[in-house]
Amino acid sequence: MLAHGEIAVAEGAVDAPSPRAAAPGNGPSSPHRPAVCWLLSAGGAVAVVAAAAALSGFHAGFPARWNPGVAGGFSSLDNWVTAHQQSNFFLGTVIGDISTVLAVCTNGLLSFLTWMTWVGVLAAAGAASWLAGGWRTASFSAVVVAVLGLSGLWGESMATLSLMAVAIILSVLVGLPLGVAAAVWRPVGQLVRPVLDVMQMLPSYAYLVPVVILFSIGNPAGIVATFIYAVPPIVRFTQLGITTVGGDVVEAAAAFGATRGQVLRKVELPLALQSILLGLNQVIMMALSVVVIASLVGTGGLGDSVLQALNVVNVGDAFTAGIVIVLMAMALDRSSGAFGGRIGRSGRRSARQLALLWGAVVLVVLAAHYGAGLGDFPSGWSLSVSTPINTALSTLQNRLYHFASIPVVGGTSNLSSFLTLDVLNPLQRVLTALPWWVVLAVVGGAGWLFGGLRRALLLGACVVAIGLMQVWSATTVTLSQVVVALVLDLLIGIPLGIAAYRSRAVDRLLRPVLDLLQTMPAFVYLIPVVLFFSVGNVAGVVASLVYALPAAVRATTLGLRSVPVDVVEAGDAFGATARQRLGKIELPLARPYLLLAVNQTIMLVLAEVIVAGLVGAGGLGYSVVVGLERDQFGQGLTAGLSIVLLGVIFDRLTQGRSRAGTFTSAT
Amino acid sequence: MTEIRTIHRRRRLALGALGVAAAMLVSGCNASTSTGGAASQTGSGSSGQAAGSANKPTITLVTNSWEGSLANNVVAQYVIEHDLHYPVKLIDLSEIPAWPATAKGQVSAVLEEWGHANQYQRYVVGNHQVINAGQEGPLGNIGWYVPTYLMKAHPELATWKGVQKDWKMFVTPQSAPQGQFLDGSPSYVTNDAALMKNLHINMKVIYAGSEAAQLTEIKTAYKQKKPIIFYWYTPQYENAIYKFSQVKLPPWTTACAKLPAAKVNCAYPPYDLYKIENAKLPSTAPAVAAFIKRFHWTSGDQDQVAYDMAVKKMSDTAAAKAFVSSHASLVSSWLHGSDTKIVVPPPGT
Repeated sequence: MLAHGEIAVAEGAVDAPSPRAAAPGNGPSSPHRPAVCWLLSAGGAVAVVAAAAALSGFHAGFPARWNPGVAGGFSSLDNWVTAHQQSNFFLGTVIGDISTVLAVCTNGLLSFLTWMTWVGVLAAAGAASWLAGGWRTASFSAVVVAVLGLSGLWGESMATLSLMAVAIILSVLVGLPLGVAAAVWRPVGQLVRPVLDVMQMLPSYAYLVPVVILFSIGNPAGIVATFIYAVPPIVRFTQLGITTVGGDVVEAAAAFGATRGQVLRKVELPLALQSILLGLNQVIMMALSVVVIASLVGTGGLGDSVLQALNVVNVGDAFTAGIVIVLMAMALDRSSGAFGGRIGRSGRRSARQLALLWGAVVLVVLAAHYGAGLGDFPSGWSLSVSTPINTALSTLQNRLYHFASIPVVGGTSNLSSFLTLDVLNPLQRVLTALPWWVVLAVVGGAGWLFGGLRRALLLGACVVAIGLMQVWSATTVTLSQVVVALVLDLLIGIPLGIAAYRSRAVDRLLRPVLDLLQTMPAFVYLIPVVLFFSVGNVAGVVASLVYALPAAVRATTLGLRSVPVDVVEAGDAFGATARQRLGKIELPLARPYLLLAVNQTIMLVLAEVIVAGLVGAGGLGYSVVVGLERDQFGQGLTAGLSIVLLGVIFDRLTQGRSRAGTFTSAT
Repeated sequence: MTEIRTIHRRRRLALGALGVAAAMLVSGCNASTSTGGAASQTGSGSSGQAAGSANKPTITLVTNSWEGSLANNVVAQYVIEHDLHYPVKLIDLSEIPAWPATAKGQVSAVLEEWGHANQYQRYVVGNHQVINAGQEGPLGNIGWYVPTYLMKAHPELATWKGVQKDWKMFVTPQSAPQGQFLDGSPSYVTNDAALMKNLHINMKVIYAGSEAAQLTEIKTAYKQKKPIIFYWYTPQYENAIYKFSQVKLPPWTTACAKLPAAKVNCAYPPYDLYKIENAKLPSTAPAVAAFIKRFHWTSGDQDQVAYDMAVKKMSDTAAAKAFVSSHASLVSSWLHGSDTKIVVPPPGT
């Protein structure tokens, strides 16, 4: 996968709630302060915790009587919107018109794709990706288009494709100007950042009902839900691209008499184009990762196929639709990645070549539509992998589930009971038994250590907010699973990352697997996870672990690769063994990346909390799902916000001490 | 110089890409103004076979997350398209969002509602945007079930008192030290946690979080003939493949229905499943509105169609066609008969 390493790193820098990434080690951020000042604030902090303890006592968790009614407030807001939706000008007319435009455009694009016929789509996709990346990219896209047809899901694929196209175009139309504004005006940037954090970390489940009420069900609601999740990267990458344009370049332009607008248009934006395209690439990937969620509000398409297969517990069918989504994402990723890589390099086709190419595509389309009278992919040409997959899974379950089927470990069911009884339950019990102010002291103290008073205050506020929303016990359940998933992920991911660094063969073998794990909709492995690990918290941990593993592996490999060759060679010259080289040179130097691995793994595990809720792990994920399914909007939203707050806490704790040095500039 | 040229080149490329995208959108938008409407039609089996449906509005039916709901819809779709000549599309949607969608007319009708007294209050009684289209036929039966092999080995499980006694055999790592009671999809109403407390049964309710997860867990236990007890319901086509037996709870009474949720100590109420439709449907598509008010069949009918699709892997259209051609008089009553009885969801459901 072209430029995947770079993408993963940039993603790390940008997906994390702040563009400042996890680069530790350059000493504490706060300059030396007078000891008196330090003592005073430390004393203040102890006093705050002591006061909290005195007020609420030594009870476990957070006092139920401290309830400002956040959930109820959200629910009344929801009711108000429902009641005034028709009469209110903004809610009714403006949003109604937006919905209509979105619906008409998506349906139009779908009709256009259908009109093009499958041969036309094949030709257009091939031509576009040839322009972007050459023959290899083109043939990959062509194979993917063929697979879309062969899977028997042609109509669904086209519906998803048109939905995604509109959502992605909308993201660019809104995100690009917003990113520019954030880069040019600092206050905008400061305002936008936390909003983007929330958009990216708040599970879509938490706001699907209001989205459906405001926008029409089907494509408009699906597009809005996709947009909310997918727009942050383009804003961030645009902002990042513009702000990293060298000051000397801007000064030089200004010296030649360029106005601010001219500098932006002629210097900053063009130089930031590479970064913006990387952002676009991320938008595409993120949009495709919520295809199934969009189907929950009636958009149809491939997500529907996954959901319908789940209804009848048919993993094979769900997997088929999942693979189609993955392949579509990979084709778009490769093409857009290749396009980004091509910018600024030579080798552009001449205008004549372009005209010839597109002329040929138009001819093919016309010939296919009018000449051959083709339409959707012929339904007779299908290759079903559904039954073999179901049979294989069932056999695997018979082999692996029972005890003594795997040496040492026993069966997956034994492994599952061990993890539940000896790891997850005890940890959860401890976390649940802690009074809230102990957690406040620990989290606040860690924040202080890493980021000074400001960070300590921020993290303390997050802890209190979780308590006030009255989701404390669900949060502790989720927390215990997040911690276990993180530890397991690092235990598995770091050695795999080292192996991939050491051996090209392993790397080559791992890559497609990691791509698959990262882009496969989690709904697809919901059933397999339960097949092997039973309903419960272990199933939730495993689902999150699988999703987050690629980040851990990739960041490790990347970190090791970033170690300068001369340092490694110097170590070899001094006679270091391979083990010494790894332990004393490579791993320590790759530390910033290892921290990034931790940071990204936690973020991805948190993104999977909802899926954990769908396999019986309870906690915040289950509360969010209940909120959607049982019309308890307030409860769902508070649980969702609590996931966001957990994300902020973990992110700020794993960002390390330094505020300097973003990763994108490091690559 | 090269720098400037590359900048220009980039701009041209970017502009070109935008231009193509815009052109596609514009051409698409023009092409579609006549189709109007919301979601695209996909994944719902047979499409627009309706002859003479040129100026008729598309009828949208909601498929919920259980297969029985799809069975209702494919049969209704078949009849509406072949006999009433309206185009039909089926969309997947959760139960709660389906209500506001029906109120706004984005959904024409929902053929199977389980309770939802709050939504009923808001949209049917409250603002009249949704009409109660009468009884669907099947009686929804929610309750506690065990596999029949287990019931045979432990006949005392026939009532909740047996569960109270036998809780130990249901202990799992998840529920330890208590017994495990497996609940399913969060969208289904459950009192199980309250029942355990109020009937003094030493069991913990584990919420599987989705029906797919619950069913997978039940099937794993079934394969190994292990003890398992769970929340389940009829009509459900899986009941034709797996043999489950119901555990009797203390009988449901109106007095018990009035208890607050945490105090409930009796069985689930019988759910008289009902249909709803958009309030404007009788004026925009009178024949369809009338058909929906007359649509009525049995649990057995629904299970049969669901079984044909889910287990025999028949296509949606084929399953619908098979049912319609073998039930001519029933279908005729949907077209020419009288409206079904109006039933109202009991409070707290």
